[in-house]
Amino acid sequence: MSEHSHHPPMLQYQPALPISNGKACLWLFLSTEIMFFAGLIGTYIVLRFGAVAWPKPHDVHLSEPIGAFNTFVLICSSVSIVLALEAAKRNRASEAKGWVLVTFFLGCVFLGVKGYEYLAKFDHGLYPQNPHGQIHEKADLNYAAAIRKRLLDLRAEIEPKTPRTAEDEQKLAVIDQISRDLLEPAETAARENPDSPEWRILMLRLAFAIYPPQYEEESPVGEAFDIGASTAQLQAAPLHLVAFQQNDQTAAADHALGDHDSGHAHGLNDVHSWLRLPVMIPGGGLWASTYFLLTGFHAIHVLVGLIVFFLMLFVTLNRTQIGLIENIGLYWHFVDLVWIFLFPLLYLF
Amino acid sequence: MNRFWSLIFLLVPVLGVATFVVAPYYHHWFPRDVSEHGRVIDQLFMFILWLTGIVFVATEGALFYFMWKYNARNNREPVKFSHGSHTLEVVWTILPTVTLLFIAIYQMNAWADAKMRRPDMSITAEITGRQFNWDVRYPGKDGELYTPDDVFRYDGQIHLPANEEVLLLIKSSDVLHSFFLPNLRMKQDVVPGMAQNMWFKAKETGEFDIVCAELCGWGHYKMKARVTFESRPDYEAWLEQMYDQQEAKTVALQPSE
Amino acid sequence: MSSIPVDSHSYAAPLEHAHHGSFLTTYVFSRDHKIIGLQFLFTTLLWFLVGGLLALAVRWQLAYPWSEMPILGRLMPSSLGGQIAPETYTMLFTMHATVMIFLVIIPILAGAFGNFLIPLMIGADDMAFPTLNMLSYWFMWPAMLAFGASFFVAGGAASSGWTSYPPLSLTALGGQTLWLIGLTLVGVSSMMGSVNYLTTIIMMRAPGMTMFRLPMTIWAMFITAVLQAFALPVLTAAGFMQLSDRLFGTGFFIPEGWTANNAVHAAGGGQPLLWQHLFWFYSHPAVYIMILPAMGMVSDIIACFARKPLFGYKPMVYSIGGIAGLGFIVWGHHMFVSGMNPILGMTFMVATMMIALPSAIKTFNWLGTIWGGKIQFTTPMLFALSFVSMFIIGGLSGIFMAATPVDIFIHDTYFIVAHFHYVLFAGTAMGVFGAIYFWFPKMFGRQMNETWGKVHFLLTFLFLNGTFFPMHILGMVGFPRRLADPYHYETFRHLMPLNQFMTWCAILMVATQLIFFVNFFYSIFFGPKVGRNPWHANSLEWMAPSPPGHGNFDFQPIVYRGPYEYGSPEVDTDYYPQTQPPPAGAQSAPTGH
Ligand code: HEA
Ligand code: HEA
Ligand code: CUA
Ligand SMILES: [Cu+2]
Repeated sequence: MSEHSHHPPMLQYQPALPISNGKACLWLFLSTEIMFFAGLIGTYIVLRFGAVAWPKPHDVHLSEPIGAFNTFVLICSSVSIVLALEAAKRNRASEAKGWVLVTFFLGCVFLGVKGYEYLAKFDHGLYPQNPHGQIHEKADLNYAAAIRKRLLDLRAEIEPKTPRTAEDEQKLAVIDQISRDLLEPAETAARENPDSPEWRILMLRLAFAIYPPQYEEESPVGEAFDIGASTAQLQAAPLHLVAFQQNDQTAAADHALGDHDSGHAHGLNDVHSWLRLPVMIPGGGLWASTYFLLTGFHAIHVLVGLIVFFLMLFVTLNRTQIGLIENIGLYWHFVDLVWIFLFPLLYLF
Repeated sequence: MNRFWSLIFLLVPVLGVATFVVAPYYHHWFPRDVSEHGRVIDQLFMFILWLTGIVFVATEGALFYFMWKYNARNNREPVKFSHGSHTLEVVWTILPTVTLLFIAIYQMNAWADAKMRRPDMSITAEITGRQFNWDVRYPGKDGELYTPDDVFRYDGQIHLPANEEVLLLIKSSDVLHSFFLPNLRMKQDVVPGMAQNMWFKAKETGEFDIVCAELCGWGHYKMKARVTFESRPDYEAWLEQMYDQQEAKTVALQPSE
Repeated sequence: MSSIPVDSHSYAAPLEHAHHGSFLTTYVFSRDHKIIGLQFLFTTLLWFLVGGLLALAVRWQLAYPWSEMPILGRLMPSSLGGQIAPETYTMLFTMHATVMIFLVIIPILAGAFGNFLIPLMIGADDMAFPTLNMLSYWFMWPAMLAFGASFFVAGGAASSGWTSYPPLSLTALGGQTLWLIGLTLVGVSSMMGSVNYLTTIIMMRAPGMTMFRLPMTIWAMFITAVLQAFALPVLTAAGFMQLSDRLFGTGFFIPEGWTANNAVHAAGGGQPLLWQHLFWFYSHPAVYIMILPAMGMVSDIIACFARKPLFGYKPMVYSIGGIAGLGFIVWGHHMFVSGMNPILGMTFMVATMMIALPSAIKTFNWLGTIWGGKIQFTTPMLFALSFVSMFIIGGLSGIFMAATPVDIFIHDTYFIVAHFHYVLFAGTAMGVFGAIYFWFPKMFGRQMNETWGKVHFLLTFLFLNGTFFPMHILGMVGFPRRLADPYHYETFRHLMPLNQFMTWCAILMVATQLIFFVNFFYSIFFGPKVGRNPWHANSLEWMAPSPPGHGNFDFQPIVYRGPYEYGSPEVDTDYYPQTQPPPAGAQSAPTGH
């Protein structure tokens, strides 16, 4: 039983880099993170450019201003954490804590805004979850069936009420109108001659009434719609492409509901927010998949950062804590950087 | 005892080579090749077999010889205190590089023939894999797919003309499958949402196995079909007959509707 | 002034743990890299047994399809009276592969040997982050539970092959979800391990231990860790995507208008092939993750028992690097007939051919090492040599498959199965056996029985070739893999006798492992005690007590030279430890025992 083997000597090493182990490890960790997001972003790019159709940002309620604002917030937070480090270096603990607090706050703002954006999507049924998902790739019979089901549900929910308020009555009126003017024609057409493109056009008409696609420029209100022309178009291009050409029909659809200008804000789902009808967005399913994947994983990383910041609020951030602040700072810059890639990818192109 | 171990290691090249020498005599060898291009693939295989065979015997041989010669008991002279040899390194870097590059370039043509140089001709048949069967759709008399006179077969008995180029359109309606014709040295995975082509020329008539070579569920092992190559006239006759059967069926169905 | 104290101390070491904490903190929630290494070793060996038994079930079905399986049959979950049902078979080989790869080979190499050897061989007292190290082991447990539990959920364990290609894997039942979760957890564990190893090797080498004085084992572990760190996150990402395709109705891998159980899938437009790209982007580097450490350890063992310096140290190091680098650009060779663009196929083919080159260099250098040596045929040496011999076979068969036109025919046939069992079992696993026999004294302060070790080697060596070599021939006939009953194909009917032969070899091979099992556990308690350096090796771990106490070294190791100075004329001993000061102090060289 050797006495001195209780106290193994303090071993010395020859590190290859002039940095702390912690920092070395963090850099390595970040490089794995880079590969992780490379995988995700790569997937997005492959799927997007492999896809036949991809919704425009506005079709899916992505607004550049909000995205830009969030980008700005994150960048600021990157600055504030640097300032925290500077303060700590000058051994001003309270000041450093102040900056960490600011960073924490900005991070929360970012998540808050993101949450708000998510809600906006959910309200319009823009999330993958299948089969309850509201997004349909094409205006086909499945789509019609989905709408019919939704209408029936609504009806079943309102009709039994006694006494019905004027509002209820009005709702029922809208429901009737939709099924009469839009749904039935399409379905009957499909039943009577499935081979003719007519029913498809009627379906599109329905789809656009519910959720008109976005156009770069305000589209002129078309006159009564003419099957001949659109048939030609239909044979010319696959459906989802047509979707973006049939301005006249949209207008016609709006017409049918006595609503005289087109553009998204006036789709049925927006005019009557309680309708929540299934929407037709070509490429929407895949868009939702990738959008929530990318932003979701980024949000998780933000959250982790916030938790650390929160814990740091209970530490006196004097000179001794420089290492800690520097490392979390590195991580935070990385999170920021990822977003700077995501923002243009998701919001601008 | 030292010798013993080196001899054990000698077994590897000896039995290894022996296996490949003996196998053909028990028909444990390539299945009969009835395709035109198959020969190229078999030759390429045999070429690589010879080449790697030589490398195999050489390296394993060297391993055995060193074990035999330099074992501690029998090797009297002191160890060669050497940390390596630059020239040797260069030699055995360059030799394999050349060999490998040669193989790489040598085979490109065969690959292009098999998968890239698609003949421009009309589709002979459309084959759709589904759990767990291969469905076939033949263009009818008009030789055009997707026309009313198309002939459908779901019995996994595929007929194709022999002695002429055949162009297949292969698809999947559910999961991955792989359309594998051992006797034609042909294999192509089918992916739902993608359409693949396969082309070949059968030299002989006869009936052969079609194997599904990509795991596609519990029934993967029984996703079996047969292909029958027959002369043009026989093939057309058969197609005719199948068409009539089909018509008969649909007619029979009419009143019941 | 010898840097090595005499040996009596070393036996204190094991007891010494007791002084540091309770049994629980010492042996269970230990932060000591040696204990963690051993924990990995035992766990993986037990799973090795499981994987072996699963393999036997597979073999049984291939030899006597649908017939009742003797003993194992009773363990079959969904099998009817010991008989294997088709879905059970797909489950068997899927889990066989999953267990062998994710719970045996990868963790036994990186987890067990990486943990045990890295700090010892570079002269550190522990890993850079002991707690992280402990976590990386404990993250294996939920993974093992997920994989293990999946056998008992409705529909049984994952059954879409270890490659789990969608869309099939999306329609598969519960087990698949658990499989994906398990995979992710294994990934997290490996990730923690690899960053820790890298930091340790970069920052904590003993004075004088320059990068080019590192033993090959460490180099291999280092490069392996790099591969892990960079390839694994991609698989993790892909795993999440498949998971959300299954659970949240996303459509990453679901093609347009795809119907599953007669319901058209709304979220469409995804690409099934994308999974294959992401999967192989990890899993090809992973196959090198599964062999590089073995190559490293084998290099050390061979040099030690050839009593001769490793031939071409630097070329060896560079070729490991080369394998790793090229390993990232060849993944497409698994997808030649997948429907991927044939032009891509051609480029991947060229890259794949080139990756044979570094392996060639290594092979020749191993041969160069034993050339002109004084070879001692100890058990570890026999296993190490068999690694070389078998790796050549496995490697050369890779060339056939790299040749695209040939791969059209042999893809998904037993030729592939032959290939990877030669590299993985006949290669890596044999190398691991060698490593166990070699470092056992350092791990437990006792030696395994040599005679039984040699018996174990001989039988395993013979039976494994009996099991796997005929697979090449099967492949030439086109015998497809993953097929529960290939014999109802006219083409393959006549292959049954050969398969029965292979099966019996496999059974005997697994039975042989009983010898190892007994020898292993017997020696832990009753094996002959040994001193610090029973093999007269050079590298640092042999300078520490056997087994090393907490903190590893009872002196400050200072490194004067590389680890392969065997038979150096400078000293009269035929070995020349890295810590031994140059000739001045040569006479006081450590006398191992
Ligand atoms: C440890 C694991 C390991 C290793 C090291 C390798 C090494 C190699 N592998 Fe392997 N491989 C696997 C594990 C491994 N593989 C697995 C598990 C699969 C199947 C996955 C699945 O589908 O389930 C697979 C599948 C696989 C395929 C896909 C086959 C198919 O599915 O159709 C291909 C194709 O190119 C391939 C090629 C190679 C090549 C070229 C090497 C090279 O690195 C080999 C280099 C070595 C040598 C060449 C021998 C030594 C060299 C000499 C003696 C010098 C002289 C040689 C010449 C001049 C030729 N492998
Ligand atoms: C490291 C990887 C590894 C290892 C070691 C093995 C080992 C074995 N494999 Fe495995 N196998 C794979 C990886 C591996 N396999 C993979 C990736 C596949 C493809 C799956 C797929 O298609 O998806 C496969 C598929 C596969 C098939 C093809 C199935 C099919 O396609 O239909 C077959 C068939 O014969 C087979 C057989 C065997 C046999 C007989 C062994 C034997 O060598 C097993 C011998 C077992 C032992 C020797 C264990 C002994 C136990 C100990 C030594 C521990 C002692 C315990 C203590 C000391 C505590 N395997
Ligand atoms: Cu279809 Cu396997
Ligand atoms: Cu590979």
